[in-house]
Amino acid sequence: MTSEPQSSFRRFARDVDQLLRGGFTQEDQLKIGKIEVPVRTLVIASLVLGALYGCAMGIYSWTMRGGEGVIQVFASSVKVPLLFLLTLLVTFPSLYVSSALARSRLLVGDSLRLLLAAVAVNLALLASFGTVTAFFTLCTDSYPFMVVLNVAFFGVAGLVGLGFLRQALTRLFGEEASAQGVLPRETEEADGIPLMVKRRVPRPVSQRVFSVWLVIYGIVGAQMGWILRPFVGAPSLPFTWFRQQRESNFFAATFEALGKLFQ
Amino acid sequence: MSAIAARLRASRLLGEVDSLLRGTGVHAVGGGRVPWVRIGLVLIVTGFAYGCVMGYFAGRPRQAFYSGLKVPLLLVVSTLICLPNYFMVNTVLGLRDDFAAAFRGVLSSQGTVAVVLAALAPLTALGYVSSSFYPFATVTNGVMFALASIAGQVTLARHYRPLIAKNPKHRVCLRGWLVLYVFVAIQLAWVLRPFIGAPRMRVRFLRHDAWGNAYVHVTDAVWQVLTGQ
Repeated sequence: MTSEPQSSFRRFARDVDQLLRGGFTQEDQLKIGKIEVPVRTLVIASLVLGALYGCAMGIYSWTMRGGEGVIQVFASSVKVPLLFLLTLLVTFPSLYVSSALARSRLLVGDSLRLLLAAVAVNLALLASFGTVTAFFTLCTDSYPFMVVLNVAFFGVAGLVGLGFLRQALTRLFGEEASAQGVLPRETEEADGIPLMVKRRVPRPVSQRVFSVWLVIYGIVGAQMGWILRPFVGAPSLPFTWFRQQRESNFFAATFEALGKLFQ
Repeated sequence: MSAIAARLRASRLLGEVDSLLRGTGVHAVGGGRVPWVRIGLVLIVTGFAYGCVMGYFAGRPRQAFYSGLKVPLLLVVSTLICLPNYFMVNTVLGLRDDFAAAFRGVLSSQGTVAVVLAALAPLTALGYVSSSFYPFATVTNGVMFALASIAGQVTLARHYRPLIAKNPKHRVCLRGWLVLYVFVAIQLAWVLRPFIGAPRMRVRFLRHDAWGNAYVHVTDAVWQVLTGQ
């Protein structure tokens, strides 16, 4: 009776482990434009990993407000994975349309799987910072410090997620560029001696579309974070699921927190 | 009989320490099973020894005992807090197959820090005997921790050299580990203070305002110096 749930959990854990180790973004699979990881696995992994970090983030409110702040732990554990998934939801249609126009090899399902995989890697790294965030939460009263610390961890995790995506895209579009005949020869001869030649490889249009999209994703993500706030929960303000104030933005608020840290 | 057993235990500990410092036997560079129990025991015993000396500045045995507990606690808990991130960074960078070898290096460096601290304990004691000036004791211990950290880096570099030669991505992991570890260890040391025990203050395991943030205090202090407020 219990073997079925156990085996599906094991399969899920194995898939997540393979994903983090880059098993689903190997060159041979990307050559044929395939990413063989179920969307469901990626979504569940993102939800669980995001919730873990959300809990660590929300503990600050709990320590500052006591029992009243427990709801913030729950709210943050829901909002962190939502932040990433909603950002993807908002930006994915425009990416798909542009990459289809640029004749990218990735079809809609594979594009979505690749981006979800990058989100899951991003959230896995973020979750691994959870112990450090929780530790600092227990030692810190300073709200600006917690804001800056969380922004730093989101930034580092985002860069790693970006690196994962960039590596996969280079593998994918490297093949594509080669197929289009735009890759130069690696060697040329001088006086009959073969020499290694380094040349700048022109990137295909479809890869440039992804690069532009990454910038848009970053900006939308930052603003989505602003809309979904509070995540940490300012101790001077009562708990709300969403702040009513719509003025300002993520970047202005981060600089303000940095300024307050030095006051 | 008990004297013989104690001597045997001491020689076994010395053998373990020697093997750890030289990187031989079970502490050799490379993969395989990580001897975390052995390194842990060495770390606890030697860290406790240094902590006892460190806390005996004002001649208070209770403070010495507390500091003896806190030095290994500092090294072990900092490692545990940073470990999930270290594991994840290794995994995401595709270095999981080398994780045992890398983790062996990290644990060995922590063990080395504790052993070197214990070896420096007589110098700290000499400093305490020479001066009862509290800031001098603080500086002495700061120097000892700095020297022990450098020794820890030697062990870590020894374990990481073949890994970096195999895959340069290991350098990213190593730097990431060092940055996060130092960031966490400074804060944990702040929380666990006092280690030396200022003579004018009561003996306590933790200060009543222990759960503060070291970085916020430092930025406040820098701000006050700069603005003169």
